[in-house]
Amino acid sequence: MSASDFLILNHVSKVYRRNQSLLERLKKGEAGGTRAVSDVSLTVRHGETMGLVGESGCGKSTLARLVSGLMAPTSGEINFPPNAAGNKPRLQMIFQDPYSSLNGRWTIEDIIAEPIRVHKLRQGRAAIRARVDELLVQVGLSAADAEKYPQEFSGGQRQRICIARALAGEPEFLILDEPTSALDVSVQAQILNLLRDLQKNLHLTSLFITHNLSVVRIMADRIGVMYLGELVEEATSEELFRKPRHPYTRLLIDAAPDMDTSDRSLHPIAGELPNPAFPPSGCRFHTRCPFAQDICRNTVPPQKTTETGGMFRCHFDLDLSNASVFPPPAKVKTA
Amino acid sequence: MITSTAPLLDVRELTVTINREGGLVTALDKVSFSINPGEVLGIVGESGAGKSITGAAIIDLLVPPLKRTGGTITLAGTRLDQLSPKAMRSVRGGRIGFVFQDPMTSLNPVITIGQQLCDTIQAHLKLSGSQAKKKALDWLDRVGLPNPDVQFKRYPHQLSGGMRQRMVIALALCADPMLVIADEPTTALDVSVQAHILELLRDLHRESNVSMMLITHDLGVIAKMADRVAVLYAGRVAEISPVGELFNAPKHPYTRGLIRATPMPSATGEMRLDQIPGAMPGLGAVPPGCAFNPRCFKAQSDCRATIPPLYHAESSAFSCFHPLERVTA
Repeated sequence: MSASDFLILNHVSKVYRRNQSLLERLKKGEAGGTRAVSDVSLTVRHGETMGLVGESGCGKSTLARLVSGLMAPTSGEINFPPNAAGNKPRLQMIFQDPYSSLNGRWTIEDIIAEPIRVHKLRQGRAAIRARVDELLVQVGLSAADAEKYPQEFSGGQRQRICIARALAGEPEFLILDEPTSALDVSVQAQILNLLRDLQKNLHLTSLFITHNLSVVRIMADRIGVMYLGELVEEATSEELFRKPRHPYTRLLIDAAPDMDTSDRSLHPIAGELPNPAFPPSGCRFHTRCPFAQDICRNTVPPQKTTETGGMFRCHFDLDLSNASVFPPPAKVKTA
Repeated sequence: MITSTAPLLDVRELTVTINREGGLVTALDKVSFSINPGEVLGIVGESGAGKSITGAAIIDLLVPPLKRTGGTITLAGTRLDQLSPKAMRSVRGGRIGFVFQDPMTSLNPVITIGQQLCDTIQAHLKLSGSQAKKKALDWLDRVGLPNPDVQFKRYPHQLSGGMRQRMVIALALCADPMLVIADEPTTALDVSVQAHILELLRDLHRESNVSMMLITHDLGVIAKMADRVAVLYAGRVAEISPVGELFNAPKHPYTRGLIRATPMPSATGEMRLDQIPGAMPGLGAVPPGCAFNPRCFKAQSDCRATIPPLYHAESSAFSCFHPLERVTA
């Protein structure tokens, strides 16, 4: 642990318990459940944006809830090392859907002023209003918008209001859970640019969660890739795309269609996402991995560190820097 | 546009309006395009641009208060816009197949998928029960569902999202249509499954040579799947171009803006992200002149005064008074 560490996750797991039947409860057996997050260790440093990517069901949103304290982990520790003043850092979240995350009966002023009041960051009506106006301008809206209601705004503008509300709490740490997935391309670009500027100017530390690799590549300094609750790879943004170490990362990068019209090949990942409640034995990715061998089916791969400080979970040291090293996946008849 | 073959689907000045209290609002404003036999036409735009309305208007599935108020739709010589509702029923699912975005809501949850396939086949093709079942099993196999005999008796909720979308594709294609309209077929799916479904659509398209209208907001999907692309903006056609030309030499400033706003690594691996200022105007709030003029860096006084007509160049068409010059790299 160094002084620059801001958030440390130590072997964090979260199991969603299944409802037990009466008989099972009487037998007092171990309840089964879905291991949504499994043994994740991660360190976020001061002032850095940590990206988390993965497909649906990989546990990235559960991890966000654990970090924000909305849920307690089943095992493991989540630590914010206290800063010089000995305080825990203030934390805010920005959610995916700007339609359901704003109260339609509150004016924009009420919405943005709430964190200021709760944390007693400004005293007196005039001071609070001045701060609200300042925040609205900061996110690209105008002070006159404070009188309006959320339904008078478009999706992109609403997401700006959500960002203003998050900034109103003067956070040191921001959790962004798919902040642009509900937005159109041209508006998404505006919001991403705004977030990038704010992060630079306010020196925020943040956790940026998305399923879109291109978005996370723009936003994050370091990226963690999750698959079925496990962190399978973690590296700096540049390193991850230049030289991925886990086959899943490589396949995920290739699976998203790019805008190159001269090469129209598609790169699907063989097989289907297994049910997270019953993950495969050994390496969880072995059912879809073109490099899988017997050891992958039986033994959980160790965490390996790279010379550049990254981490990956794979039995092999594969060179995946070039997409063409891939054997063509066998035609498996699953979706 | 001069083409050697007659287009399979020809849409001319298609107009759709919404009857709101206080007057008519135009949702689709004189949209014209055509699809040639065996061609994949991509329709791209942001939400509210009228992509889905275009698809629904062609097969007369507009939900009131949306109403088609003008234009012609010709499918292989038949004027679809003049057909009776009863005749239209046999076109839907018969000559035109439809793939919707959400595979869960487009399947009947209380009927087995095999029965749904048989029903569709028998509604449009004159086949006996056993022949229909044979064809249904064949289709389950063709769209890549493992063990067709087992799948035949399963219900939609027993399938995964990707398998359901395969099933919806089988339903769209099982009556041997001339045209398939796919409305955001992969938007609800994960990246790894999306590539599977796109590959399936491409394989089936190659086998059957059916024409396809692919509606999506994802330029990556367009780049991989479409032969020609129509870009819609605020209910109007901004540009129609062959796919290579659209990405390498877009004519309309909006097309280029859309491409540059999409976060994608360039060939050199660096990321760029250029935003378009403002947002697309909502229904009934379309500015006079070119709908894109308040956000356009090339806008001049004529753009604010007159709606630009669709100019036809060699292989493409665009509605812009000041089109972008081809950038020579």
